[in-house]
Amino acid sequence: MTEVLKTRIYFFFALNCAIASCFADPAGIDRQSSFALMSPQTQAMQNDPAQNPATFWVLDGQTLWQTPAGKKNNSCAQCHGDAELSMKGVSASYPKLVNGKLLNIEGRINQCRIEHQQAQPFAHESKEALSIAAYVGNQSKGMPITIDESPAIDIHLRAGQKIFEQRMGQLNLSCAQCHAERSGLKLAGNVIPQAHPTGYPIYRLEWQTVGSLERRLRNCMSGVRAEPFAFDSQEIVDLELYLMWRARGMPLETPAVRP
Amino acid sequence: MSKTSRTLVTMPATAKKNEIIDIRIIVQHDMETGFRHSEQGVRIARDIIREFVCTYNGVEIFRADLYPAIAANPMITFSTVAVESGVLEFNWKGDNDYASSTTSKITVT
Repeated sequence: MTEVLKTRIYFFFALNCAIASCFADPAGIDRQSSFALMSPQTQAMQNDPAQNPATFWVLDGQTLWQTPAGKKNNSCAQCHGDAELSMKGVSASYPKLVNGKLLNIEGRINQCRIEHQQAQPFAHESKEALSIAAYVGNQSKGMPITIDESPAIDIHLRAGQKIFEQRMGQLNLSCAQCHAERSGLKLAGNVIPQAHPTGYPIYRLEWQTVGSLERRLRNCMSGVRAEPFAFDSQEIVDLELYLMWRARGMPLETPAVRP
Repeated sequence: MSKTSRTLVTMPATAKKNEIIDIRIIVQHDMETGFRHSEQGVRIARDIIREFVCTYNGVEIFRADLYPAIAANPMITFSTVAVESGVLEFNWKGDNDYASSTTSKITVT
């Protein structure tokens, strides 16, 4: 092999690496919560429970935790005791496989309602569902996201990654094209976030209310003019799992405030 | 039956006489504008807080009228002069017999 050819090969190798790093999904310490992109005022709103409107949902959740419900007339507290102890770190580990089915925290709470309280499950995005999820999530505030990485969950993780990288909708965009490859660049004047779901359920100022990660994902899908995945569909929970896995190790901020 | 909701008040518990104190209050309310329609096309009736009043030992020190363009869970911040120890009372009134009330104590030295 001539020296010139060798140099060319090295050059192309280096170029490929450069391109790859340009479009790589930020990993490790390069990851950033969207908290860092917010104005100091909005950050202060999230950090101070007396200013964070989601506090109302957390307090409502605390009441729900202690309120008996269903045919068994059981409250969450009767089985789980003090949420500050029993729910510590729980939300940081969801979505999770429960008896072979992948559930997010809202799904897990509803399963508990059906099985152990014999009560009606909370409707998606209802005040009750969001309140209890915010209360349970708040117990993990500051704790690192720790997703189960056992082989059993691998199939869901791969499925979630596939959805993340799949182009969809009339705009024919994948999640990854904006949130992995172009995060930190601008879209209509706003910095594109890295899409780490570190603070759900969030109080979104645009929504003027608390919403779940599923609502946010469906919102993004309407944005690219795709038909949103149904609540509780396998696809949306797989995607949630992949996003939480991408954010593994980052501290949970629930309930976060986002613009 | 009147509706009520949660409130959060942030203000100092103690202050020096004639010190200016900041008061920050937030109240849980949807502030439904009356301009929105449901998915079925039915207009959602207006349901907002109309009035906020703060009294300091019975004397009115701050009042605000609220309108449909004000965001949900409205936060109001204002300041006053700590003249004497006592109780600040916060009252919200609104559509559909909405009424919320809360108090905060302050010790002035």
